[in-house]
Amino acid sequence: MQILRKTNLKALAKAHALGQEGVIALIERKGLEGRGGAAFPTGKKWRTCHDTQADERFVVCNADEGEPGTFKDKFIILNNPKTMIEGILIAAYAIGAKRCFIYLRGEYEFLRPKLQRQVKSMLKRAKTDVTIEIVRGAGAYICGESTALLQSLQGNRGTAMSKPPNPTRNGLWGKPTMINNVETLTCAAQAVLFDNWKPEVRLFSLSGNIQNPGVYEFPIGVKMSKVIKAANPKRKLKAVSFGCFGGIMPVDENMAITPETLMMEKCHHGAYSIIFADETNNVVDLSLSIAKFYTYESCGKCTPCREGTVRMLNLLRKIHSGEGSREDLPILCELANHIQETALCGLGQTCGNHVLTSILHFPQDYEAYFSKK
Amino acid sequence: MSERTNLMEGGKDEILLNVLHRAQEKHGYLSESVLKKISSKYSIPIAKLYGVVKFYTMFHTEPQGKNIIEICGSPSCVLNNGISLEQFLKSELKIKIGETTQDKLFSLYKTSCIGCCDEAPAMLLNRKPCTRLTIDSLKATIENLRKEAGEKKE
Repeated sequence: MQILRKTNLKALAKAHALGQEGVIALIERKGLEGRGGAAFPTGKKWRTCHDTQADERFVVCNADEGEPGTFKDKFIILNNPKTMIEGILIAAYAIGAKRCFIYLRGEYEFLRPKLQRQVKSMLKRAKTDVTIEIVRGAGAYICGESTALLQSLQGNRGTAMSKPPNPTRNGLWGKPTMINNVETLTCAAQAVLFDNWKPEVRLFSLSGNIQNPGVYEFPIGVKMSKVIKAANPKRKLKAVSFGCFGGIMPVDENMAITPETLMMEKCHHGAYSIIFADETNNVVDLSLSIAKFYTYESCGKCTPCREGTVRMLNLLRKIHSGEGSREDLPILCELANHIQETALCGLGQTCGNHVLTSILHFPQDYEAYFSKK
Repeated sequence: MSERTNLMEGGKDEILLNVLHRAQEKHGYLSESVLKKISSKYSIPIAKLYGVVKFYTMFHTEPQGKNIIEICGSPSCVLNNGISLEQFLKSELKIKIGETTQDKLFSLYKTSCIGCCDEAPAMLLNRKPCTRLTIDSLKATIENLRKEAGEKKE
């Protein structure tokens, strides 16, 4: 796997030789995009942070991997942590930061002792005055969102803030702060060192009703049939859910998985987490479990998300209990659209995707509950 | 621009989340007296501190059971029989989500996703993952923990 290639501090040495401008230009040229789900061009982020006037800058490695169905960052922290740490050091060098953080989600506490030792040994080997501190999250999904993460790091409630200002210009304690995902930083080190590094290769987290769940590497554009073959389902598959926020769609073996083809189905690739549901499931049940997730994890800051997620859940519960009717569907869609248009952050703006896509693609599953009446 | 609220401890900048985690590990939970100490030590208003603590599900302001179980409620776990495990735990421990057993041996929580979707269904037991759970394996785990506690009492 490309993600497992080790850079052994050679990438950091090459970055030093290229200079700050050189390494940022290289990252831009290699076409690295953020792997946390938003796919923002990494080089552009680095450049903005570098170019913003400030006496102090920070790097944050976002290891708050909370999207249900996603476990690729855990895979990297377990299997190639040193390359990730090297990526942090390269990012720190590129923008001129001395203090770095790894925001590790509370649920990954069991990974922390070993990671702490590896950070210590890497800093010693790199002979650097840069510091890397592990910050322990405490069970809030929203803290994976950049503005909420910064609030959390600064000792506040982890609520989302409106953008701009973007953290790259005005982040931790008002200073330019670069927040990159675990996979992004690992790839950054590999992209700097290896000429044959491929930007289109992505980590896929596969789970659900399959016999071979796990982390796989596929290029963007891979055929769904190939992914399914690797996943090895026991029974016939019915639906795929892209994490919680990416939407639910029918299994189409012939589809090439790209951001554009998924967009056609009103879905979003996110961090390429695919949860498979087989034919024994009703998609409304899946949607209900996702609605519970959003109600639980909404930070409560903005009204559309705080109230809207509860209303969506209540309507889905009503349908699920057999008390719903066809008239509930347009209300659900209106609610979902309204929240997406007016919510403050990425969580709220995507929290209705599962409702909209499940109603679009699986009306028969809703019908099944209406006819139970 | 946010005010710099870094904490100073032994000349080293500290992050509040790490301070709170350490305090909770030492005292079992973040009691009023523990929070008052942190509040005065770091000059953070107690109301603000309480607001921060209550935001995060992993911080507790009430005494907790000896063993903390966090059952995963992610779609991957739900698709793999997760709901029946949750129901089993509730009936076996005779508590609801968020409660602690009378013998103070178990506290039960539900979490959104613990990133063990490839080994679903899963839970965290005292922050360590237990994966590929079945009702039988859960039953055995609970029994062992009860037995351990009983032996210690004797």
